[in-house]
Amino acid sequence: METLITIKDLNVAYQEKPALWHVNMSIPANSRTAIVGPNGAGKSTLIKSIMTLIKPISGKIDIDGKDVRHALKRIAYVPQKGEVNWDFPATVLDVVLMGRYVHKGWFKRPNRQDSEIALDALKTMKMEAFRNRQISELSGGQRQRVFLARAIAQNAEIYIMDEPLQGIDITTEKLIIDVMKALQQEGKTFVVVHHQLDTVEDYFDHAVILNKTVIAQGPVEAIWNESNIEKAYYEMSGHHD
Amino acid sequence: MIDILTSYTFMIVALGTVILAVASGIIGTVSVIKGQSLIGDAVGHATFPGIVLAFMLAGTRETLVLALGALLLGIIAFFTIQIITEHSRITLDGALALVLSSFFGLGMALMSFVQGNPDFEGTQGLSDYIFGQAAYMLRSDVYLILAASGASLLVFILFYQQLKIYIFDPVYSRSIGISNMLMNFMILGITITLIAVGLKAVGAILIVNLLIAPAVVGQLWSDRFFHVLIIAAATGGISAFAGTYISTAGNDIATGPAIILVLSAFVLVSLLSARKGLLRRSILKRKVGERS
Ligand SMILES: Nc1ncnc2c1ncn2[C@@H]1O[C@H](COP(=O)(O)OP(=O)(O)O)[C@@H](O)[C@H]1O
Ligand SMILES: [Mg+2]
Repeated sequence: METLITIKDLNVAYQEKPALWHVNMSIPANSRTAIVGPNGAGKSTLIKSIMTLIKPISGKIDIDGKDVRHALKRIAYVPQKGEVNWDFPATVLDVVLMGRYVHKGWFKRPNRQDSEIALDALKTMKMEAFRNRQISELSGGQRQRVFLARAIAQNAEIYIMDEPLQGIDITTEKLIIDVMKALQQEGKTFVVVHHQLDTVEDYFDHAVILNKTVIAQGPVEAIWNESNIEKAYYEMSGHHD
Repeated sequence: MIDILTSYTFMIVALGTVILAVASGIIGTVSVIKGQSLIGDAVGHATFPGIVLAFMLAGTRETLVLALGALLLGIIAFFTIQIITEHSRITLDGALALVLSSFFGLGMALMSFVQGNPDFEGTQGLSDYIFGQAAYMLRSDVYLILAASGASLLVFILFYQQLKIYIFDPVYSRSIGISNMLMNFMILGITITLIAVGLKAVGAILIVNLLIAPAVVGQLWSDRFFHVLIIAAATGGISAFAGTYISTAGNDIATGPAIILVLSAFVLVSLLSARKGLLRRSILKRKVGERS
């Protein structure tokens, strides 16, 4: 498969405490890639580096051979739960319409066509009945569906999600995976931080096992084995080069 | 009563306070939702020494000069708060209290210094900036308020979509290429500017109420961002008009307290009767409780 995202020698630290070192990886186009690793392995840090939300010490992140900063519009980011301001008085439709922002002109005002796209996205996530509900009144799973609907409304090629399945109901989990597989058929690429080890093989076709640095990466059937998992989860002493 | 309402002076002063309150209600809603309303309080108090310092240095009470002094001290206060919270173990509320009281104390000290000092003339007007005295507002005061509020509203409208996304979900807004730094700078810049130009009308102590109270009313009546903004703007505008009237009609009532009293009445009524207010909520809870 063709490479879409290339990361070369990425090093990130928080107040001089290293979080990622010598990370080299490539994520194939049109894959469902899982980022797996124990707590504190730097998975969120990796995602935030790709989204240029934090500044690495060094390293290069390219999309289709060009700096990621020029490709942000092609990426839809689904945030982790705690990152949004739940005091904000927004309806479900308001939130999904935010996904249309990247396609708008100067005033960025959504029009009727944008509303239709947003409603379609809500339909895909089986949330159209909730369109006028206050987002803060929804359950964790429903909120996650709304955020995925916003990503769909953005019509991006690359979906980046940080633990989207955490703390949600099983129906939503199945729906998210179904939608992910359907969108892959349409040519989209998924990069998903995933915390359940037992479902990696069912849900993903590519994986990166991470613990501060890359332990293994490649097609799931090639690298998803006990030896690699053990290396990431039980050899916590570190992996200095 | 008709006399006052149709008097040219009253109309121009009321126009100033109303548009100030409308703009403050809107930008204040953003601060309240972002959980930053107390920063406005600290900055509001901290602008007062800026007024006195500008007067001392320039030797004039010209509107623009004093407002620039207030603006400068407001900015300094904001960065002082940032530096204290980032580089010490003092928490945000500690830093706010510290900056608020020390800056305001400095202003009071400077004011008593110039008031007892024969080198400075025309110091009696300075105390108007503590509680606000709209009746003594000059036409130039009103023009400055109109210009600053108009510009603030224009910027807000231009960047409305960006601001909305930023306030709700800063990580997402950053990810789609919105500059969060610019958004934050804009919110703070507008807040400090409105405080600086509104001091003479409302006063340093109470001006934060113009930012917070309308937002609270708006949030009690609606859970749509746009509607909250409209309700906040209307609440601010009506209170400013009524407060200015009360203050102009009754000679010795300062404008700031008069406007704040009207605003507080709105908050109280909303707390009691709004859909999301205390009373309805407790009734609702009881009903739900009975059912289960
Ligand atoms: N903002 C931050 N400041 C300081 N340390 C951080 C910050 N964010 C994460 N870390 C630390 O960096 C390491 C990696 O964190 P993170 O990327 O969130 O891991 P993961 O998502 O894999 O659980 C952890 O040790 C965490 O404590
Ligand atoms: Mg994480």
